[in-house]
Amino acid sequence: MLPDGLGGILQDEVEILLAPLSDNTSFCDLVKETLNKTNPTLIKDTAQYRPWPLLPLLVCDAICGNWEQVLPATAGLELLKAAANVFDDIEDADNTDSVSAKYGISLATNTASVLVVLAEKGFTRLKDSGVNSDTVVTLVDKVNSYYAKACVGQHLDLSLVPEKITQEDAYLKLIGMKSAFAAECACYAGALLAGAHEDLINLFTTFGYNLGMAAQIANDIRGITGLKDINNRKITLPVIFALGQAGQVHELLNSAFLKKDSKLVSSPGQIKDLLVNTGAIKYATIKMEIYKQQAMGVLNELERTGINIEQLRQFLD
Amino acid sequence: MESQALQELVGKIFSDEETKSQFAANPEGVLSKFALTECERRAVLSAETKFGLINSDSLHLSVAGPLDDYWF
Repeated sequence: MLPDGLGGILQDEVEILLAPLSDNTSFCDLVKETLNKTNPTLIKDTAQYRPWPLLPLLVCDAICGNWEQVLPATAGLELLKAAANVFDDIEDADNTDSVSAKYGISLATNTASVLVVLAEKGFTRLKDSGVNSDTVVTLVDKVNSYYAKACVGQHLDLSLVPEKITQEDAYLKLIGMKSAFAAECACYAGALLAGAHEDLINLFTTFGYNLGMAAQIANDIRGITGLKDINNRKITLPVIFALGQAGQVHELLNSAFLKKDSKLVSSPGQIKDLLVNTGAIKYATIKMEIYKQQAMGVLNELERTGINIEQLRQFLD
Repeated sequence: MESQALQELVGKIFSDEETKSQFAANPEGVLSKFALTECERRAVLSAETKFGLINSDSLHLSVAGPLDDYWF
């Protein structure tokens, strides 16, 4: 049974992992600031809030009615994700509010490094929750595999020429590797530590993958409506759809997104309008709905096996 | 997975006023002319119900779906 204030309980677990830093207040504060940037809403309880950090706990509770055994791993995953975000900000250099932009690359790299190391402590703490060593090793191995795959995706994203990712299939594969993996990994951890059998674990990871894909496409939509991805000339799903259109639209978008050395001939607002009017945003919302429906289909399948899916359904509302 | 039929459907709705009107009046009728999978068909109808035909003023898209920044 999930208690109220679960976000606060997770926060306390994160504090335990940060204990080795307590001798140096400035470093500890920087690490906490980094974690707050990643998830400032960890303990917010609003109607709109979707408790992403709690996903492993919710999955575990849905399967076995307990969540305590997955708490240290959930904190570890939270730290790993924060580290990945810092590295991503360093590599992309497109976030003026990032730790690297504010404090420099050296301090940011060191902060991300300690988050990775402390995340490992979260996984070893699982033994204190009664999880057997074999399961801990299995989890660490799988988490490392997910993050290795994310690094491959990031490498492709950083190194491929833009023309290579203007095919929808290639783009969807890329975001599956570097974005959707996190929700997939969170679901895997929750299911494994609940003692689920392989088929059930696979169902939960499929749910996590589809949830993660829907979330990334939603992020793509917001990147266009909020202009951020237009200003950064970032190729995302709506842009790929519109680039597939013939005529003047193609030429304008080709110039805006594929010839990054050239000056924008249209304002970001005009490019947004162009993307909206070609149906690019509509297309992305439909693709997002497809992934959400696939995630819902998995939840329905899980419900038929007797699993209580109510807490997980809220991610798709 | 990339879907040619879905791309064609959306492209047609946004490039042809007659198709756009037909889709607004009878979405199912327009969908039947395209070789969509059942999942795509349901997604088109669901997106239409939630967001309608999106235009530049559709700022409500900022709350579309699981939009939290958490994973990004």
